[in-house]
Amino acid sequence: MHLLLVGISHKTATVELRERLDFQVRGVDHALRTLATRGSTREAVVLSTCNRAEVYVACDDVLATRTDLLNFLSEFNAVDRSVVAPHVYDAADLAAARHLYCVAAGLDSLVVGEPQVFGQVKDALTMAVAAQTAGPVLNRLFHASFVVGKRVRTETALGSGAVSISYAAVALARKIFGDLSGRSVVVVGAGEMGELTARHMKSQGVQHVTIVSRTMAHAARTAEQIGGAAAAPWEDLDGVLGASDIAITATGASAPILTKARVEAIMRPRRNRPLFIIDIAVPRDVEAAASEIEQVFLHNIDDLQATVRENLARRASEVARAEAIVAEEIDKFGVWLRSRGAIPTVVALRQHCEDLRRAELDRLDYKLAALPQARAVVDEITHLIIEKLLLTPTERLKSLGDAETVGAYAEALTRLFGLGESADERIESRSVPERIDGRVEPFTRSKPRGSR
Amino acid sequence: MMNFVPLALYGVALVAYVWHFAKRDAVVGRGATTALVFAAVAHTFVIGMQSMQYGYPPVAGPTSAISTFVWLLALAYLYTELTTDERAMGVFILPLLVALQMIPALNPGVEPQLPVLQSPLFGIHVSALLLAYASFALACVIGVTYVLLFKEIKAKHLGIFYARLPSLQMLDRMNQQAIVIGWIFLTAGMIVGAVWTPQARAYAPGIPQLQAMSLRDPKIFVALVCWTIYSFELFAARRIGWGGRRAAYLSAVGFAIVLLNFVPISYFLTRSHNF
Repeated sequence: MHLLLVGISHKTATVELRERLDFQVRGVDHALRTLATRGSTREAVVLSTCNRAEVYVACDDVLATRTDLLNFLSEFNAVDRSVVAPHVYDAADLAAARHLYCVAAGLDSLVVGEPQVFGQVKDALTMAVAAQTAGPVLNRLFHASFVVGKRVRTETALGSGAVSISYAAVALARKIFGDLSGRSVVVVGAGEMGELTARHMKSQGVQHVTIVSRTMAHAARTAEQIGGAAAAPWEDLDGVLGASDIAITATGASAPILTKARVEAIMRPRRNRPLFIIDIAVPRDVEAAASEIEQVFLHNIDDLQATVRENLARRASEVARAEAIVAEEIDKFGVWLRSRGAIPTVVALRQHCEDLRRAELDRLDYKLAALPQARAVVDEITHLIIEKLLLTPTERLKSLGDAETVGAYAEALTRLFGLGESADERIESRSVPERIDGRVEPFTRSKPRGSR
Repeated sequence: MMNFVPLALYGVALVAYVWHFAKRDAVVGRGATTALVFAAVAHTFVIGMQSMQYGYPPVAGPTSAISTFVWLLALAYLYTELTTDERAMGVFILPLLVALQMIPALNPGVEPQLPVLQSPLFGIHVSALLLAYASFALACVIGVTYVLLFKEIKAKHLGIFYARLPSLQMLDRMNQQAIVIGWIFLTAGMIVGAVWTPQARAYAPGIPQLQAMSLRDPKIFVALVCWTIYSFELFAARRIGWGGRRAAYLSAVGFAIVLLNFVPISYFLTRSHNF
């Protein structure tokens, strides 16, 4: 069994192509079922976000499945194969696992360390489980990737610090006011940036949002777009500012609207109440000297951008630590994946022993027919003997670390026990001399116990 | 000897708090709190043992008073930490605890207490003042952290404290609360002291310190200065909007004077108040 990943992401494809390969359009569930009917895969998970479309599968033949998945990508999304092919990347086994780990940890994201993708990876598995296309291998792989994502988040600063202007503004406001619920925000100017920041504030629990614009109609329209916001006329600006905790200025004015003297006048009746001014207008709306006033915290767009840059740099410096965690977890997964190499041999060995046991029990059946209790005891004892005999070999086989040793052991076991032959052949070949013996009853082969 | 055990545990807690502050490791943070809880429990035990041994709580005399003060401050800090879930301030409180606890650890034993001091009023007087001082110590540390965070935000350089401290508003509120509590105990303690002095004089006329007790005594005078400062701070915060940075500076100045009163003046300067 092999792991295989085929997909496209923001690193290989433009947004136009990503849009066309968006599985969410036709439904991830539908995609999973379609994939299952193609028969080239044993397990499948589809990870579809706005930045990536990836298919993770467990399969037997990597090369054939790779080709089939490429066809699936183009056929399912109705995009020509030649358009898709140059942008598709693929990875097998541990390389595929490593890729998923990096994705879950946010290392492969457009904004490194962003947290949303973690939830999207979780959703992808949930959908595959619902569609019954996730089996033991992919379940194990995805759960391991959740471990990676959590470890990276708690052990490194990869996801720390705001990396967008509006998040940086909200983070600053929180550092000044603590809880933002019950605070009031005034947005001066009805521009897009101010609206976006106001929306962020609103989602953080800010109670009152007031829009003040030179044109009352603009203010009213923006207030309506934000929802639950009020509009106030330009003449009331000082009064609204006096009653607010946070001011976002984003007008197109060519000269500062809020001079130091004007802010001072606004601050006087407020006494000690802090005023956080976010000046995102260029040219600036607030005189820089206003920040000299006690309890006025003035940050302009450059300051916020500097914060964002610093945070991005810090995230970048954490990449190495996050990658170390990925490598550690890959080692663990590798051990597990290799131990799975022994599983067919283990299953065959157990099956073989169980078949022998059944055959012998059936052969003795006529002697025990009159003694149902004795039969149960014999059944129990023989079962226990086989379990005990096989316990150590099973554990040893599963704990083997490298593929080569697994192969050698599997080969030896197969030859020694004749595991390659089908069960019927084995019994046939063995039953011939027994029949000559003349003591053999016909076999009724029932389902073996304890097989997987 | 006994005071070494809490000192060692405070030391362990200090290291853990510094480590937690540097690495921001949640497990280390919980370990730091646990170490401090153990230190406080050990300290409680020491103070309890001393009380049983001598028959009175070890509050008279500067060394015992410092030990009890450290204990109260540790408890007050633990209370704030448990109610706010903020650990960053520990890194500022613990050095103070360790430094002050060295004094009782190096001067073992409890100062003998004059029989005249066995009045309940004296006990109330000293405990109230020690509690007041512990609150002021907390207010001072909160004030210092407020200023550090304030400066970072004003300077638009979001660094060490920005990432670790709670919000300015919260620090301001905590500072005010600590000062209100401290001021109430300071006032009560001073009133009880003033009421008790004439009674004690009547009870034991032969003790020179009691007769010399007056407003000219440095310890009493400085205590009054502290009271004035904190009263002004409370008034200013409510009436003229002196919160935030000014309040933080005032609480730092106030506690510096408290500390001055507590250690050097108690040991070297006072003539009347040195029981």
